[in-house]
Amino acid sequence: MQLETPDDTPAPPQSALRERLGTAALALLLVPGAAAAADSGAKTQIDYTTLLYGEQGRAQVVEPILRATRLFSDGQLLSLQLGFDSITGASPSGALPSGRVQTQTSPSGHVTTVPAGEIPTTSFVDRRTGLDGEWQKPFGQRFTSTIGVHASTEKDYDSLGVNGKLSVDLMQHLFTVTVGAGYSDDSVSPVGGTPAGLSDGTVVTHGANAKRVSSALLGVSRVLSRRWLVGVDVTRFEENGYLTEPYKVLSLVDQVTGSPLDQVTDKRPSTRSRTSVLFSSVYHLTDDVVYGTYRYYTDSWKVRSNTLDFSYRHDLDENRYFEPHVRLYKQTAADFFTVGLVVGQPLPEFATSDYRLGPLTTFTLGATYAFHFDPVPGQLKLRVDYIRQQGDGSPANAVGVQRNFDLAPTVNTVSAVVGYSFKF
Amino acid sequence: MKVSAKWWLRAGVVLAFPGVLAGCATVKPWDRDLLAEGRMRFNPCPMLHSIDEHIYFSKEASMGGQDAAGGGCGCN
Repeated sequence: MQLETPDDTPAPPQSALRERLGTAALALLLVPGAAAAADSGAKTQIDYTTLLYGEQGRAQVVEPILRATRLFSDGQLLSLQLGFDSITGASPSGALPSGRVQTQTSPSGHVTTVPAGEIPTTSFVDRRTGLDGEWQKPFGQRFTSTIGVHASTEKDYDSLGVNGKLSVDLMQHLFTVTVGAGYSDDSVSPVGGTPAGLSDGTVVTHGANAKRVSSALLGVSRVLSRRWLVGVDVTRFEENGYLTEPYKVLSLVDQVTGSPLDQVTDKRPSTRSRTSVLFSSVYHLTDDVVYGTYRYYTDSWKVRSNTLDFSYRHDLDENRYFEPHVRLYKQTAADFFTVGLVVGQPLPEFATSDYRLGPLTTFTLGATYAFHFDPVPGQLKLRVDYIRQQGDGSPANAVGVQRNFDLAPTVNTVSAVVGYSFKF
Repeated sequence: MKVSAKWWLRAGVVLAFPGVLAGCATVKPWDRDLLAEGRMRFNPCPMLHSIDEHIYFSKEASMGGQDAAGGGCGCN
């Protein structure tokens, strides 16, 4: 984990910086964390952020996060982070719209009415508390280890995890190799019990379902020039256990009219292998800095995705910077994704109509503005993002009346982050 | 965790990318002033980055980046 404020504040003019750093750059670069330690002698940093997230007509999230980071004289870093999520609103149940008014019952027994032609949604309220800790320790001039722990709890989901990384600096600190691993032991306890997969949901089992996630990381980064840093990270996640979304359903429709006649519960495989390759680049222009990443992702459920992410940081003066940001994401569907099933036909082994496992495109446009004003210490940060998510609203396997509906309405989301950091 | 030899081979090829791109490029210590700036990092704002990871994990089917941590949320 990195201290943000000391190095995140806008840079002074290049000539002044060169003069100030001079030969001292060598010493700062050779000792991890030394740059942060040297800045005004700060030893402790407090970061506070609040996320306000709102999907149009769907989920709303408020998430305050508090983090304290302590930097020790020998370069060690210790941080603790506490976060609360308050989540309310609704998400698509997975059922298909109908030409008539539908009624549906939530896991808590709440009955709602769905207007004709609209995507059925399920209302929910949840709270999540998460605690994260991280300890970073340098060993000599070349090695840095990082150990992280995680614990979180919510109404129907608990998680306990540990992860670690070891980085080695080579070639006079121009080349860094990182290896890491993680393990998370989660438990899923659906409200109202766990329904049998691809059933009518009336038969449930009570108690927690185990979900375990193992992960491995291999990464390298390379200084290409005085202005350019690049990196590649490969991650692998192996998930085992209960991976089904217990509150999602699929509609059983008439094969001619397409009208929903019944519904069955979601069912997914109990294993999932995920692999991602991330290419990263940071380039220093004359004054500004350009960040770019490309990620390729693939998993054993046959989801493939490509993600492009760019940011451009422009320092307005020594106290302020502005950073516009754009992200493009596109994924293919999982091999067991379907918008619905046909009554009378044999049920598949696995099936979901969760739009997040369908074909999906996400576009994000946003900007960050950071500033501080004397005599108030620290830095304020404001970030606003607009996120537009689109699926396939007219899939080829839609039948009958379903062809008249938009089966994947565009989801518009606005998220805002307000952050404040100071050190002492 | 089962990771095949083929996967490790692919990972090795991918990880060789920066080295191939760099060739014998070198930057002397006294020329690393710009690189020493805090904003010359892949994630200069770790908290914003972790918030983003959480948002997109809950909305999309993909995950993975520069961290080895997995699981931790029932949102997806």
